[in-house]
Amino acid sequence: MLLDPGFLIVQTLNGLQLSALLFLLSIGLSVVFGLMNFINLAHGTLFMVGAYLALSAVRAFESFWVALLLAPLGVSLIGGVLYLVLLRHMQRADPMKQVLVTFGLIFVGIETVDIIWGSLPHIIDVPALLSGRGSVLGQVYPTYRLFIIALGAAAFVLLYLGLERTRVGAIVRAGVDDRTMVAALGIDIGRVFFLVFCLGCLLAGVAGVVAAPVFSIAPGMDMSVLILALIVVVLGGPGSLKGVALGSLIIGIADTYGQVVLPELARVTIYALMALILLFRPAGLIPVRSGHR
Amino acid sequence: MTGPMNGRDPLQLPVAGMLAGIAVAAWFGADYFGMELLAEVAILAIFAMSLDLLVGAAGMVSLGHAGFLALGAYATAAATVLWGWPPLAALGVSVAAAAAVAVGVGVFAVRLTGVFFIMITLAIGQMVHAYFVKARAFGGDNGMSGTPRFDLAPLGLDAGDPGVFAALVLVAAALVYLALLLVRRSPFGMMLTAIHQNPGRLTSLGCPVRRYKLAAFGAAGAVAGLAGALMAQHTGFVSPDLAFWTLSGEALIIVILGGSGSLIGAAGGAAVYLLLRNQLNDPGFWRNLSLPPEMADHWQLVMGLFFIAVVLLARDGLYGRLAWALRRTALAVVRRSSRS
Repeated sequence: MLLDPGFLIVQTLNGLQLSALLFLLSIGLSVVFGLMNFINLAHGTLFMVGAYLALSAVRAFESFWVALLLAPLGVSLIGGVLYLVLLRHMQRADPMKQVLVTFGLIFVGIETVDIIWGSLPHIIDVPALLSGRGSVLGQVYPTYRLFIIALGAAAFVLLYLGLERTRVGAIVRAGVDDRTMVAALGIDIGRVFFLVFCLGCLLAGVAGVVAAPVFSIAPGMDMSVLILALIVVVLGGPGSLKGVALGSLIIGIADTYGQVVLPELARVTIYALMALILLFRPAGLIPVRSGHR
Repeated sequence: MTGPMNGRDPLQLPVAGMLAGIAVAAWFGADYFGMELLAEVAILAIFAMSLDLLVGAAGMVSLGHAGFLALGAYATAAATVLWGWPPLAALGVSVAAAAAVAVGVGVFAVRLTGVFFIMITLAIGQMVHAYFVKARAFGGDNGMSGTPRFDLAPLGLDAGDPGVFAALVLVAAALVYLALLLVRRSPFGMMLTAIHQNPGRLTSLGCPVRRYKLAAFGAAGAVAGLAGALMAQHTGFVSPDLAFWTLSGEALIIVILGGSGSLIGAAGGAAVYLLLRNQLNDPGFWRNLSLPPEMADHWQLVMGLFFIAVVLLARDGLYGRLAWALRRTALAVVRRSSRS
């Protein structure tokens, strides 16, 4: 089975699709972790809210594309408000308090979507434009899933250019490296944090929208992806764009193949991988910081 | 935040006595469901106190402590149901298994600090969860049922009776409390507190910091395994959910609610948490507040807000507040008597 090239191609594509989703989801978590040393457990909740907002947008406008435009903006707005009201004040708190405040937000998020949209799972249709099937190396594969892979790749390229070629990108990179020094240079690092945070929420929202036609939308859909996203961040190195891309690829493909090849131990392997990376490379596979802080 | 316990904590035992008094009074007044709730409180208190040894004393914030609870519960279920061992022997297996795994993974975990320690413990707990979800020998996703309780027939008692079992686990919780108090006040416990306050200084003094942390991790794991064994006996059922990281998160909230590092606070926090959950779950509670009873289905919403409030507002937890109030009252009494 493993040596059948058709099987390998399809599973690899499945893995890449999961990687693309994980990349969109994790990049915000990673940059916030890198910039602010802050673990936002509610990041998965934003992903879930993105899927639900897409559900409502699709019902209201009967267009997936409108949903893809509006829902991430809504998520970003919610994230921005959360940041200003609650998370901004947590930056100087110890890690346990940060983790637990956002832990509380997870429950609030799950129950809120349950109250608004009900506890039954929903699904939205794949947009007509992408509902067909494409052919990859002779294997038939749904166009929509190829679209997800392309979206993830496009997001990586755009973020890479933004981070490497723009002024804001330079500030963000400098901020991850040494925020005190950036602030000392007279840059309002707080405002940059806020923008980066909102952008991260936006991308989590995008992940939620594009995941909606593939997974079922249900309260608690955030729980399983949150842990995967955390692993991606730790694996790649908090704050590192390339790290997140690499981490997403590893986890997306390892999880997909693991479920097929070693179903008994699939997830165990992934957690063990995270633990090992933490031990031998606590700063991740692609560390961004030049020195210890 | 180092916790109020430093060996000169004169309120620790009086507060514990007060709590024990309340527990005894509740036991005499409890009906069937009251007994079930009491047993639940006692078991959760043991679990929370074991976490407080890590978090409060040694400053090691674990987000995977439920993994050891689950190991203890599964060890008891497997030993009794699959191998036919008596529950008391199974209890020993539970404690030993949880301690052994805690020491095994702890060797690696204690090398990390801060947020990275939180992450690696999260991974460890989730690893246990993922294992039991897939382990067909232990019932996989469905878990296992039919764990028997202690055989108390030689004493003329029946542990199947909720009152007897509640009394049993309350005594167990009291014993665990006393044992952990001794640990905390021993030179070993003092070293943990010192490591929490200033790991750098302890290292430079030549203290094997990691070895102390490993011992704390193992001991906390063992006590969590005990709680798991009692939980398996209480509900007669184990499932992978016992290892899920949200339970570890709830236990952390309980420790903070009670007052991190105050030991008896963790037990009090467990009681307050379960009583609150019980109320929020109950449609009648919401009706009495003239709110829609359907809110009972969404109790986690209020619980989530409560968690956030606890973390933001509870500086030294319920124990700290109580100690502050008691001290103030005592001072006022002394002043008044000296004036007259």
